[in-house]
Amino acid sequence: MFLGNLDSLRYFLPEIAVTATILLLVVLHVVSKNRESSAPGVLSLVGVGAAILLAGIVPPGAGKAIFEGMAAYDAFAVFFKVLTALATLVVILMSMDSRELAGRSQAEYYVFLLSTLLGMFLLSSATDIVMVYLSLELVSIPSYLLAGYLKGKEKSTEAAMKYVVYGATASGVMIYGFSLLFGLAGSTQVAEIGRALAAGKAVLPALLAAVMVAVGFGYKIAAVPFHMWSPDVYEGSPTPATAFFSIGPKAAGFAVLVRFYYTAFAASDPATGMWRLTADVDWPLLFAALSAVTMTVGNLVAVQQSNVKRLLAYSSIAHAGYMLMGFVLLSPAGIQAVLFYLVVYLFMNLGAFYVVVVVSNALGGEDIADFTGLGSRAPFAAVSLAIFLFALTGIPPFSGFIGKVYLFAEVLNRGVYWLAIVAGLNSVVSLYYYARIVRAMFLADPKDTSAILVPAVPRAMLALLVAPTLIFGVYWEPVARLAADSVRMLVF
Amino acid sequence: MARFLESVNFADPYFPVLILLAIALAMAVGFVLLSQALGPKRYDRIKFGVYECGVDPLTPAAVRVSVKYYLVAILFILFDLETTFLYPWAVLFRSLGLFGFIEMAVFVGILLVGLVYAWKKGALEWQ
Repeated sequence: MFLGNLDSLRYFLPEIAVTATILLLVVLHVVSKNRESSAPGVLSLVGVGAAILLAGIVPPGAGKAIFEGMAAYDAFAVFFKVLTALATLVVILMSMDSRELAGRSQAEYYVFLLSTLLGMFLLSSATDIVMVYLSLELVSIPSYLLAGYLKGKEKSTEAAMKYVVYGATASGVMIYGFSLLFGLAGSTQVAEIGRALAAGKAVLPALLAAVMVAVGFGYKIAAVPFHMWSPDVYEGSPTPATAFFSIGPKAAGFAVLVRFYYTAFAASDPATGMWRLTADVDWPLLFAALSAVTMTVGNLVAVQQSNVKRLLAYSSIAHAGYMLMGFVLLSPAGIQAVLFYLVVYLFMNLGAFYVVVVVSNALGGEDIADFTGLGSRAPFAAVSLAIFLFALTGIPPFSGFIGKVYLFAEVLNRGVYWLAIVAGLNSVVSLYYYARIVRAMFLADPKDTSAILVPAVPRAMLALLVAPTLIFGVYWEPVARLAADSVRMLVF
Repeated sequence: MARFLESVNFADPYFPVLILLAIALAMAVGFVLLSQALGPKRYDRIKFGVYECGVDPLTPAAVRVSVKYYLVAILFILFDLETTFLYPWAVLFRSLGLFGFIEMAVFVGILLVGLVYAWKKGALEWQ
């Protein structure tokens, strides 16, 4: 049953909070004369914090179809709303003391950041292809602006330009796929499309549409072969924005990928509890290949990078590949593994980027050479970064290991052994380039041995990000339970 | 190949679209190739010149357009769309009642913030 617009509002509180904050920020920007003021940052923190609190305030239960079926309010959407809002919260703190952004208009930056967040909220709950497209654009367009925010810096402008061109192409292909789906089903509702595909015989257009839609979503999660934009965008953007891109839009992309494919192309088989896909195509193999290629390309190219930001960009492509492993399996346990991995990835990846921000604030660069001797110059930041990097590799006892265990376990349970072997080999490759940074920090002799002062706020934030990375490595059961609970998706 | 052909459903309502695509592709590529193969080839100055309604081109076509045009165009689209929403609301004003009024006030209010922003940023000034 669809809820009308007015009844839907009580399930829309986090979005309303973010929208109100955006409007306040615009007014603040116009009214205030002081461009250096920290008021916009504090206001955004309050707004996003309120959104997190409001996200879980109404229990989703079995889920509700809100705004006449445009969006869903279910455990899955709430999970992603909290996840992306948490990422935004950390990024706001990161941006507030970033040297790159100092002297530029702060309020506008946060307007773009929060607009992207609003888009991610909508994307993770969209159940209508019009809404999917609209929210995808709402994520993309402010992201272009964030990438090009360092106006006057050549790399930043290049990043924005590449991002726009790739983004426009990808969403153009995707919306063409949508038009085919609309033609097949005669409805823009994803669930209706799923029913029409399950009943219909039109295999060829359905397959074409599925592939075209995969272009749009693959671009958002930066899966190979739609990843070309990401290294340049990650390198050119202001570092806090890069940290944001590597987790926020990626998580929202996974949310819409899972929700869309499982509602439109898969039907739950009551006998086994497994999802089966409707078209007569070996979907698992197709996505397994995508996953294997994504992680391999990401890791192999990361090995050659000397800029840490670029290195982390390629590593985030590789991680998208690992997460696709869980998507391949078409099982609730697989999706649970993806959600779990996103949680641990949030902390370890944002942590790694936070240290990069700290180092580049102090030294003005982010090459591996800049990290030389960090172990003695800023021991706390260096040890934190080492923990994040080992967690990203997936070494016990850190949280990344548990995340990988869940993904691997599901792959092995379903007997896709070759994918597990590829992923295992990839983890070994990733150890090499992560360890290169660790070696530079602890084993190489720096030219400059003066201590780097890490201010109190980054220090506290690093501690806050290290804690879950360590804790979830030994006590992860609550997160696993949360992920299991959040797999329940509204299908109406 | 044979298995693939068996799997294709020729009665599919979308099959003609596929044929149309194939014909369009064949025509487009075909005519380019045909004119390459059959057309006369006289390469001289006039042949390589830019075609501009028969008149010799005066200036390069790639001129810089002031960024102000884009600002005005964007603002125009924004407020033009606002009016397209206002008209149906005005027509149905009575039946939509108070709820419609509040909803429209929120919509216009959000756009108003945008207008204030554009105004203060100097987007409406033309020097």
